[in-house]
Amino acid sequence: MDVKYKVNRLQTTNEIRPLVDKHWADLRTAKERGEKVAWASGPTFIFAYAMGMKCHFMAGYSAYCGGIGAGEEVLKVAEMTGDLPETCSYHRLHMGMGEAVARGIDINPQAILPMPDLMVAGRLCPEMSHYAEGLNRRFGIRILPIDLPSVYDLKDQPRLREFVYRQFKEVVIPTVEDVCGKPFDYDRMSEILTVLKEVATLRNQCWEFFKTKPACWTLWDYGVSIAPVFYLMGNPAGVAYYKRLLKELQERKEKGIPAIAPDGEKYRLYWDGWLPWAFLGKFMRKFTPNGAVCLCGRYPWEFFPHPELIDPEHPVETWADLYYGEGRLTYNFSPHGTVDLISELIEDYSIDGLVMFSSKTCRIMNLSQPEVIDVLDKKYGIPGVIVEGDMIDPAMISDAQIETRLEALYEMIDSRRR
Amino acid sequence: MEKVLTEIAEVTADPYGYVAGLKERKEKKVIGCFPMHIPDEIIHAADLIPVVIWRGNEPVTWGHAHVPPYDCGITRSFVDDAVRGKLGFMDGMVFHVRQCLQAGEFPFIMERHVKPSYQKVLYLPALYPGDVMRDFTITELEGFKTSLEEFTGKKISDDNLNKSIEIYNKNRSLLERVYEIRREKPEILKAREVMQIVWSSMFMLKEDHNKLLTELIKGMEAKTVEPEKDKIRVIPVGCLCQTLQFDILDLIEDLGMIIPDDDLYIGSRYFANQVNLDGSPLGALADRYLTRTPVCPTKGVWQVHWGDEAIKKMRDNDARGIISIIVKYCPPHACYYPDFKSKMEQEGINAIMIEMEHEIITLEAIKTRLQSFVEIIGGV
Ligand code: SF4
Ligand code: SF4
Repeated sequence: MDVKYKVNRLQTTNEIRPLVDKHWADLRTAKERGEKVAWASGPTFIFAYAMGMKCHFMAGYSAYCGGIGAGEEVLKVAEMTGDLPETCSYHRLHMGMGEAVARGIDINPQAILPMPDLMVAGRLCPEMSHYAEGLNRRFGIRILPIDLPSVYDLKDQPRLREFVYRQFKEVVIPTVEDVCGKPFDYDRMSEILTVLKEVATLRNQCWEFFKTKPACWTLWDYGVSIAPVFYLMGNPAGVAYYKRLLKELQERKEKGIPAIAPDGEKYRLYWDGWLPWAFLGKFMRKFTPNGAVCLCGRYPWEFFPHPELIDPEHPVETWADLYYGEGRLTYNFSPHGTVDLISELIEDYSIDGLVMFSSKTCRIMNLSQPEVIDVLDKKYGIPGVIVEGDMIDPAMISDAQIETRLEALYEMIDSRRR
Repeated sequence: MEKVLTEIAEVTADPYGYVAGLKERKEKKVIGCFPMHIPDEIIHAADLIPVVIWRGNEPVTWGHAHVPPYDCGITRSFVDDAVRGKLGFMDGMVFHVRQCLQAGEFPFIMERHVKPSYQKVLYLPALYPGDVMRDFTITELEGFKTSLEEFTGKKISDDNLNKSIEIYNKNRSLLERVYEIRREKPEILKAREVMQIVWSSMFMLKEDHNKLLTELIKGMEAKTVEPEKDKIRVIPVGCLCQTLQFDILDLIEDLGMIIPDDDLYIGSRYFANQVNLDGSPLGALADRYLTRTPVCPTKGVWQVHWGDEAIKKMRDNDARGIISIIVKYCPPHACYYPDFKSKMEQEGINAIMIEMEHEIITLEAIKTRLQSFVEIIGGV
């Protein structure tokens, strides 16, 4: 008889929504309190936070917008006001939101943010630059641009670190000082990093419960828990959240409660690419009934997997080192880095198969995905499939295609087990 | 003049064969550079043959297994050519992986399937504020030069570099002269011929190309043409990294339009800006790269508006409209386009956009759009 799989929902994850909502509500009302507002892309918002600015983050806002179900209507405004569908959906969301405000078009009020005093535009991906330039051209927003190349080859890393560190010191810090009219607050940056280090350490302990067989929670649960290591960075509420999450996972393990009922997963999967924020439920419904669970992924591992490297005593240096030193956070965007990271994850989390999510409008994680599958298949005998889609835009998602590819993956895993 | 045009038409009809033959004749190694911003003067100074990588004209086949269908034409076509073994004559390849996300596709695929004996990744920066940008550009170019020296086992002296830069500058001046004559008498060349002239410069040795251009210019200067006053002057803009299908250029002309000047990558953008020979050659190459105009949407420039530049070009040429050509799935251009379009609307400029795909099934849809455009701007 077929096993009827179903998700065992975690209790703690219900507590994230109020934290996240409060963050965005504070941002929406910041100007009323006379606070400065920044928007950010790439790993840059910490500099605005250190200065006490309220700050949005490009991907965080997009995830939030998708999560509250506002993605589609904001994308429609973007389309109506001239944006082309093949540009990245995060770009279009921001243009749509800006245009809705400028033209008084009615959208979900929770999706509206105040126009910023500064846009800290980290060009990790070139499109982050296009979005900032577009916002400047259309709405006159001041830009603080930072070029943040991802490292193709580790031997390039030292000179890229120097390049980025110099930008932090020579461009970023003087500009935020100028905008805020006060000296850069190194102490606050250190405090933020101290909290981040504690949260990321607790989060890593939670990751241990992905390793258990059966697993105690899913990547999707972690996906909704990302904010404390991301844009809620420096907020002590994140420590409390992860302590409770850790406790719940420990209890689950003791009581033998798996992530999916009745007795845990049949397929342990790796997920590559962004999380499909607007479609988490949709994908869950395609995994769970088949006994498949995603347990780790490249994007969710971007949030400081090595808290031991965070040195709050040297905040600016540590920030450069996390991305361009031992932390290797930008290297993971290149195919070599991807192979290295996924190899570790396959080994640590006993992965059976790879789901490579290929976003049609954001190619940053798509780079060489077919090659990466091939390399890892040869190395570990683990199959992988590419699933095409988008994080936000429903026009780019095809149910039939997702189902066919996932079925193929399950079959390949089964046939290799036989 | 006709002889030169025939020669150029021949080499552009088969760039693969031409470059392979060139390599044999000159007994030099060939280094392919992915367009648009690699300063190939350095490769030339290393006594190698630099060629700008091109979009082939065949449908993508094996390449599908390596790159998604939603990558731009040249990305898919180049990977396809490479994995099918059509680029065996390239001993080396250079990629500037910061131009756009898609340019980041290549190095890993090439390493695994083509294994050129030389491969270099450049991270040229965005044109952002701060001395660090220029310093870093120079660091990148120094690294590029050193890697070539290691590859050939020969030092590249400043003297060699200056000589190569001079040859390249000469080529730019000659191409500029071709354009100048074309602006005076746009009937003198077909738009496809102009594109072929610029394109051939990208993969012929510049010295050879300079000779051809010198002869061509003589012919162009001497030739009188009957002005076709009823033709509607238009300026095509964009088409980053790759050749526009020649059929589209023909279509524009067949519909009664004429192109006195352009703002295309395989056009005036390629040879814009000389390299200043006064100071250090690498510094000068860096400065050319760091020049904000012509605005390139891949370079992170927001202080100058591309739309203003295009309008100026249109007015300088008494043209009546602008045709934007966007390569399908080219995010840098696609992200910029809405602002470009708004600028056209604000200034009351007749403008249209056509999307260029690698595999054109039929020109009918493009024809219909261009037909209505030409009617609006006062044609037949
Ligand atoms: S293309 Fe991708 S990485 Fe780049 S800004 Fe858009 S969503 Fe972010
Ligand atoms: S055409 Fe556009 S997307 Fe394609 S390689 Fe060139 S700049 Fe990148």
